[in-house]
Amino acid sequence: MLAFVRKNQVPLSSCLCLLLSLYILTAAARGQLKNEPLGALLMLIMRPLQVASESAVSWVKNFRDNYDTLAGFKLENERLRKRIQNLEVERQRLLEAEATNRQLKALLDFRTQLPAGAITASIIANSANSWFQSCMLDKGSTDGVRKGMAVVTPLGVVGQVVGVTANAAKVLLLTDPNSGIDVLVQRTRSRGIVSGSLDSGTILKYVKRSEDVQEGDRLITSGIDGVFPKGMMVGTVIKVRKQHIGLFQFIEVLPAVQTSRIENVLVVAGDGSGKR
Amino acid sequence: MRLCLLFFLVGIVLILLQTTLLHLLPIGIIPDLTLVLCVYLGLYHPTVGAALGSFLIGYSVDVVSSPSRMVGLNAFLMSLVFLFVYFSSRSIWAQNPLVSSIVVLFAALIKSAALVLISAFFVSLEGFWIGATWYIIQEALAAAVLAPVVFGLLRAGESFAARFRAAGQ
Repeated sequence: MLAFVRKNQVPLSSCLCLLLSLYILTAAARGQLKNEPLGALLMLIMRPLQVASESAVSWVKNFRDNYDTLAGFKLENERLRKRIQNLEVERQRLLEAEATNRQLKALLDFRTQLPAGAITASIIANSANSWFQSCMLDKGSTDGVRKGMAVVTPLGVVGQVVGVTANAAKVLLLTDPNSGIDVLVQRTRSRGIVSGSLDSGTILKYVKRSEDVQEGDRLITSGIDGVFPKGMMVGTVIKVRKQHIGLFQFIEVLPAVQTSRIENVLVVAGDGSGKR
Repeated sequence: MRLCLLFFLVGIVLILLQTTLLHLLPIGIIPDLTLVLCVYLGLYHPTVGAALGSFLIGYSVDVVSSPSRMVGLNAFLMSLVFLFVYFSSRSIWAQNPLVSSIVVLFAALIKSAALVLISAFFVSLEGFWIGATWYIIQEALAAAVLAPVVFGLLRAGESFAARFRAAGQ
């Protein structure tokens, strides 16, 4: 008997465990299993381990959730960034269209005040060096532009056409030393010639010492030269210096039109004969 | 006896894993690692201590997760698995990972079948069978897939303990 038990001690002990567990199961099913010490001991061992394990898992879970959230934010951020870029491009395009529209509307309004046959043109290039102040227009002889025509904007005089090809025209700007525009001081009707200079910017020449010219005086075209329509704004006097010797005053002028800031102009004939 | 204590501690760790970390797996089931441990004990340590260890591991599972009126169920199942593997180990050579996986698969199926039967006998749960088959197969497959890994870790732990013991002596 003892030999049998010793030989089969493993299956016998296993069967004993089966029986014990069946007993426990039956007792538990009947509700008789209360305050059993083994379960309490196991719970005592397991609880702190489970608490520690659960907190570690919670940390992992939180980390994963945070990562997912951050990944979501990142995607959302990228999407919104792209959208902002697109909207910015769109906004820029609309602002540009609005500015161009405003400019063209002003030109259109201004055109009604000019002799008939004013030609709208865009500046397509500027002077290649600082010795000459000129620009190129996108309209030429096929559009009716002729040499000697005036180039103006609603703000004032820009310059004069000095060269024409079939599809382009070269304009000598008011600020070039070779230009000369017959002007009147609006306040006193004193006459002079506005021209550019290499050293002093734009100047008003040939105004007698006796003439009353003050800083802030507005200069307008006289119309006498037959190039520019009469009464167009040319510039404002910013500095007056009466020299000790000589017949004339030295007067510096701020041009009414900053040529570097304009894009569209009108080409007109001073005698009103300009044609499209 | 020390080895039995070590396996019991491993069992506690596996229960902790099953009750916490493995819930994070996105596969929808919890792999029964304690079952794999019992199979390992049945295959490689067919001793009275291992039989007792299997019972204790099952009972620990009951303590932490079974409903109060079903305490003892897992203890019974683990003891049953151990007994099944003990008898099987006489006729199979389970050094191959594939064979160990197959043994674990059968052990898981036996455990699940016994669980369903005993549950039906002790606590007649209505609708308990619905969806049970697919769940049982999934759980058995998961245990079988993980078996070689768990076996490898247990073997590594054993050899480490043996080296540690040898260094102590």
